[in-house]
Amino acid sequence: MKPLVVLILALVLLGLRFLRLSRVLWVPVWWLASYVFLVYGIEPPLPRSIILMFMGIITLSLLAYFSVDSQTLSAAWGAIVRFVTDRRYTIPLAMVVVALPAAVGWVAYRNASKAPNPPLFGRTIHPPPPIEITFKGKKINLTEADNPFRALEKSDPDKFRQHVARGRVIYFQNCVFCHGDNLNGEGLFAHGFDPLPANFADPTTIAMLQESYLFWRIAKGGPGLPEESAPWASAMPAWEKFLSEEDIWDVILFLYDYTGYRPRAKESLE
Amino acid sequence: MKQFQRDRFLPVENDLSAGAAPSCTARKIRRSWFIWLLMTLVPATLLAQQLGTEAQREKGRQIYMKRCAQCHGEKGDGRGPAHDVFLPHPRDFTSGLFKIRTTPSGELPTDEDLHRVIRKGMPYTGMPAWPSLSDDDITNLIYFIKTFNEDFASPYAQPTPIKIPEPPAFTQESVERGRKVYEANRCYDCHGNQGRGDGKSAPTLTDEWGDPIRPADLTKRWTFRGGGTRKDIYRTFTTGMNGTPMPSYEIPENERWDLVNYVYSLSRDDPNYATMVSAVYVPDSISLAAGRDLFAGAPPALFPVVGQVIEPGREFYPGVNAIEVRAVYNASKIALLLTWHDMVADRAGSCGPGLPVPRFDPQHPDTAGRFCDAVAVQFPSEMPSGQVKPYFLFGDSRHPVDLWFADLGKNTPRLFEGKGSGNLSETDKYGLEMAASYNEGEWAVIFVRDRQVSKGLSFQPNSFVPIAFSVWDGFNHERGNKRGITSWYYLYLPPMNQPSPVAAMAKYGALTLVVELVLIVVVRTRYREEALESRGQA
Repeated sequence: MKPLVVLILALVLLGLRFLRLSRVLWVPVWWLASYVFLVYGIEPPLPRSIILMFMGIITLSLLAYFSVDSQTLSAAWGAIVRFVTDRRYTIPLAMVVVALPAAVGWVAYRNASKAPNPPLFGRTIHPPPPIEITFKGKKINLTEADNPFRALEKSDPDKFRQHVARGRVIYFQNCVFCHGDNLNGEGLFAHGFDPLPANFADPTTIAMLQESYLFWRIAKGGPGLPEESAPWASAMPAWEKFLSEEDIWDVILFLYDYTGYRPRAKESLE
Repeated sequence: MKQFQRDRFLPVENDLSAGAAPSCTARKIRRSWFIWLLMTLVPATLLAQQLGTEAQREKGRQIYMKRCAQCHGEKGDGRGPAHDVFLPHPRDFTSGLFKIRTTPSGELPTDEDLHRVIRKGMPYTGMPAWPSLSDDDITNLIYFIKTFNEDFASPYAQPTPIKIPEPPAFTQESVERGRKVYEANRCYDCHGNQGRGDGKSAPTLTDEWGDPIRPADLTKRWTFRGGGTRKDIYRTFTTGMNGTPMPSYEIPENERWDLVNYVYSLSRDDPNYATMVSAVYVPDSISLAAGRDLFAGAPPALFPVVGQVIEPGREFYPGVNAIEVRAVYNASKIALLLTWHDMVADRAGSCGPGLPVPRFDPQHPDTAGRFCDAVAVQFPSEMPSGQVKPYFLFGDSRHPVDLWFADLGKNTPRLFEGKGSGNLSETDKYGLEMAASYNEGEWAVIFVRDRQVSKGLSFQPNSFVPIAFSVWDGFNHERGNKRGITSWYYLYLPPMNQPSPVAAMAKYGALTLVVELVLIVVVRTRYREEALESRGQA
């Protein structure tokens, strides 16, 4: 929220309070105030679709406020009739008659002269993994597979640190260009790709996934995605072309170690 | 530091001479004692402050080992595991050579200089910005980084930062004077006449470590390593970039801001990377002979180009970082204009999208052979019906792509069908024509083809055609998979008879007016009836 915008809005509304506005005029005033607040008063800015949704709700509630009892309704109607028929309002009425079509025409002109937006497609970000993958001729069952070096964390911490250190070297020679030094998906080449590289520092990525899922994503990359996840657009390489099985498990250890997250545990099969 | 000693020394001496005239030897002893005190204790305490405490350096060491050592090395020599895959290579802190400084050429940077680079990073290099580190973290990190070079602890090597004044107003007159300063100081030798980084010595430049280094493309301010504000530009040529061929310039103060304003005028603020290029319908005939004039009314779209690091034969430091595209079409033909900045036109040697590239091996740099520059536009071979597209790197077996390939060595177009990297086959050209020119650091390639062909993609008005690009820089030995790439974007062809926006404006404006007038008439007649009724009742 931007305090300055909120303050200005509050002051304007407070100032209008002393002008003894009719109830009918308060409706557009509130409507405009809400719009200004939604568009300029919120940081970071809301997406257009959200603003449209909120404004729809606000419009409906303002209309409801009007029609809730016959007194306000007839007061509103009376005001409109006065505005249209009373000779005192001839000039403002003429201004409205000219201004409204002009505004509509301007919006229509702007929309018609803009090139249309390219088609957008939804994409499943964490698609369900296959049950089994073939890694360099070896079948790996993803529901059963687990990081073979994870157990070393307790049984042999020194050996575990060695695997993490290996994973770190692999990461910084292969993954860093897109996923970045901070592991936040803001690497040197990230701006050239759509979808953007995954942000491992975000709690909704690796922290929600099992290590075998990561193994699948790393080994098979973008081309291994199912169709609903746009395999043609993902820049994630199929790392089986570059890395060994041990390399991949090591780099997975590094991802969790660096970010401090824990992999999602396997549900125990009873 | 020198300044500091002198200032402290003078009043001390005055105090002594103003004292009760002690004997000559006593004065000498006291004076030497003071000198000893000043020469050791004061610098020592001052430096102790700048070098941090043992605890602070230890905290810095921990951050360094976690976040920095992978590139800059555990010994600070820039030889971490990622050394070979980044160019410019990670900084060697033991050298004491730092690019971005407010201190004169050859001097160490100030703590603020180091802080700035860590906080903001160096755009378009492997050095990222570190927004997540706190100010204390960065301070501790700097204390630790300073342990790699002993000069940081020496009282005789303390930096003496320059003062960067507030920039004066940006005026066109200043820009024009700045152009003369640019010429007088021969900036074009490296940065080129148009500032595109294509000066005649550009291809020969190496840094302190013998690695090739490219002069900045002054038309892309967002890639400046030390930042793109006018103060940043002032600092860069006033202090130079240690370890690189960029020297510091001794020029009169008023000319400095003229030069800054000139350099600043060469570039827009942001790249404004596009996601779509809109073609423009032209009623005239389209032919190669018209050259770039054909595209006078077509809006440019700039797409980012990044290294192909996905398929084997990777390119970690592509020579090209963006490609600009314009498109026009008429009833029968479509034409594309591709422009990009390249330090030097490589016309000798061979090129091709399918040429083999050895696996990346830093022990055996891939420097054999000569390769020419090239560019390719990629379209799906068939217009996708749904959202399914071919794989963005040369397609896949089920969804092939067409590659319009420009061999800039032989100056001929070639057409390939791609079913994946390593699965390319040359096909008939289907009338694809091409013209290429290189001028002052910029390649311009025009493709012209019939919109409808017997086989391959047809370009229909009112459609979004997926489009992607590959750029090869022969200077970097780029060919085959070793290249700069883009992801899929769109080429939009508006309808040929684009309804005028004025018509839409008139239609909706008139409609609103009619509704308004009807409402007013209805309200007024009803009101009159009511008024008459009430009068009648009365």
